[in-house]
Amino acid sequence: MALSGYYPNLDDNKDLWAVQRTKIDKATKNDVVFIGASRVLFDIQLNEWEKETGKKPIQLASVGSTPLPIFNDIVENTEFAGTVVVGVTPPLFFSTTFLMAVPWKREQFRVDHYFKRTYAQRLNHALSIPLQQNLVLMSTSEEEWTSNIDLKTLLKNIKIGNRQPKGMPPFYQFDDITLERNTEMTQRTVNDTAFANTIKKVWRFYGSTSPPPEKDATMSFFLKDAKAFTERGGNLILLRCPSSGGARMGENMGFPRVDFWNDLVKQANVKAYHFEDYEQFKNLECPELSHLSVKDARYFTTELAKIMIADGAITNQKIN
Amino acid sequence: MLFNSLSFVLFLFIVLALYYSKLFNWTSKKRMLLLSSYIFYGMWNPPLIILLWMSTMVDWKAGKRLAVEDNQKKRKFWLILSMCVNLGFLGFFKYGDFLLENFTALMNSIGVDFQAQPMDIILPMGISFYTFQTMSYTIDMYNRKIERAKTFLDFALYVTFFPQLVAGPIVRAKDLITQFYEPKKATVNQFVWGLFLLTMGLFLKVVMADTLLSGTADDVFSSDKILNVWDAWTGTLAFSGQIFFDFSGYSTCAIGIALMLGIILPDNFRYPYASIGFSEFWKRWHISLSSWLRDYLYIPLGGNRHGITRMYVALMLTMLLGGLWHGAAWTFVIWGALHGIYLVVERLLKNKIHIKINAWNGVLLALLTYTLVNFTWVFFRAREFSTAKNMIGSMLFMNGDGEKILGTFDIIKVFTVITILFLCHWVMRNTSMKSVSLKTSPWILGIVWAIMFFLIVIAQGSGEQFIYFQF
Repeated sequence: MALSGYYPNLDDNKDLWAVQRTKIDKATKNDVVFIGASRVLFDIQLNEWEKETGKKPIQLASVGSTPLPIFNDIVENTEFAGTVVVGVTPPLFFSTTFLMAVPWKREQFRVDHYFKRTYAQRLNHALSIPLQQNLVLMSTSEEEWTSNIDLKTLLKNIKIGNRQPKGMPPFYQFDDITLERNTEMTQRTVNDTAFANTIKKVWRFYGSTSPPPEKDATMSFFLKDAKAFTERGGNLILLRCPSSGGARMGENMGFPRVDFWNDLVKQANVKAYHFEDYEQFKNLECPELSHLSVKDARYFTTELAKIMIADGAITNQKIN
Repeated sequence: MLFNSLSFVLFLFIVLALYYSKLFNWTSKKRMLLLSSYIFYGMWNPPLIILLWMSTMVDWKAGKRLAVEDNQKKRKFWLILSMCVNLGFLGFFKYGDFLLENFTALMNSIGVDFQAQPMDIILPMGISFYTFQTMSYTIDMYNRKIERAKTFLDFALYVTFFPQLVAGPIVRAKDLITQFYEPKKATVNQFVWGLFLLTMGLFLKVVMADTLLSGTADDVFSSDKILNVWDAWTGTLAFSGQIFFDFSGYSTCAIGIALMLGIILPDNFRYPYASIGFSEFWKRWHISLSSWLRDYLYIPLGGNRHGITRMYVALMLTMLLGGLWHGAAWTFVIWGALHGIYLVVERLLKNKIHIKINAWNGVLLALLTYTLVNFTWVFFRAREFSTAKNMIGSMLFMNGDGEKILGTFDIIKVFTVITILFLCHWVMRNTSMKSVSLKTSPWILGIVWAIMFFLIVIAQGSGEQFIYFQF
């Protein structure tokens, strides 16, 4: 499909993530950390959260990954005892504990990079920021979007014949990210149905190729860390962000709420928020079935923070 | 720090600015270069600079003693001390886990129930290069082939000189230390040519190796399937191109950067894929390592001075150890063994068959040599023997249809790049880039330079490490 309207933007890469991870080492009891997959990344807007709670959260969610490795890192490698909000996207959260599986490897790669990154890599990242922010041609990305305009991607997009098995459909970038990793869905995804459909095709591809869930293994891994975290005074919260249409139907069929979400909440015995339980969120529609538009994400964040404060799950730092 | 990174651009700019400023005299400039070299290395892992220091101190002391010591036993002591320290570092950091793994397997095979946790030792970047470089100094001192370095600063800079510190060329003391004795300054022509070489090296690495070939090689060698013959050959050819562009790219950068400082480093590659035979291949591929192995291993093992059988044994041992130098895995040993066998067979055939080489049979023999070299690359690249076995089987049409994992465009791309690579090597085999450039219009050179720069910029890359850093 035709692509137009290129503009400079940041790459949500391991270095950008590692800078946020650094903040946990100095974080206090009052800090809030978001972990999870892309839904938490898109749906939680950091400025709106700060407006409601008085404290800007640390965003460590990563696209297409399970939060288990980063939660395990927080529990085992830090003394953080503030609030951790875990985004539960069922197909990813309950996917695997196998170290080489993609949802695990993607997250573990970032955790490992945080510990192993060299001073040269830190400097490279710092020097690359002004270039990324100002030059459209700085277009490589860790996600290897089809819409990148670096030479490797341009060549990769050339297809002749049908020699190899049909793989993943083209996956165009549909978000923008800031230095603090605040992520917004692009307006094009909201306004251009044909473009949004290209993203939906990718979700369908993942839905049809994902292996069956490993509920017992993932739950047991998570619950062990959850116990350790809450025992040292940490505040753990589970969050199920909205999905719509075919994605939601698929999740309801493959990961029935009663068997997965309800069981997780019961066993973890912590505060939990499912979008279906709140009147405010029932009508939210995801333009590409899985993430909220920036307008809805701002609304979702604001309302969610209010609900959590009212529920006593988090405290309002503006008052304290 | 990687040459293909933004931090290196900043680093080089600062080093060049200080080097050519009038702030320092020559000794201070050398101190600045030494400090810069430690920063260059320390930006990766600061504590491992200690290993560099230890290697430097031991060989400086050994060289100093060997310069004045006449007692043969004491001379031998200093030589052995240097070798123990350098090979000890290499043995522990590079081969520690490999030795433990094999010891465990050996114990288990004879019925002893022995299990050991892997030590997970970090491999210091470039350790194989700088240890070989410092050892060459001490061995040459022992053999009274060179004078000792005039000052500790000259020697430390020889060990640590940042352009060639982590992946060579492995420079001999007589070729580098003496250049530090007198003030050095690149002429305008040298500086511009050095900058051109740096651009060329980055082009080879970022565009040719990382952008055009690495993805295909990675896809093929990471596949656990039995592959179709086209896929297996495409992957192997892609890797043969990738490793050449990657490593020669590094060497070209190193030579270019040194030249911008007025320091001349020797060539490390001379169009190796146009070699006619394997003796010639090793005179054109990683020249500084093959000449090191020849001078400090093959010749001391007897070389060709003690009859044919002993020569072949020395040759095989040299190539086996050369293989092991590249990595702590049996696949590298097989790679070395194959090259050893090729060399032995070539020598046997040369005694029986005499061919007068001309342009027509030459290109066919070069193609034959390159094809056989490709079989060795399979073992070099494969992480498991099973992968190598499957690849070789597919390349020799022994695996039936096999899986097709590459697209038609990938195959066309790799075969085009490799054909151009081979033809370029053939055309350039008796000349050099420098002499060609002197006969070329500056306009054409400028356009080539601009195209390379443009392609580097749009390729960008993600700061992929050079393959030889791990060796």
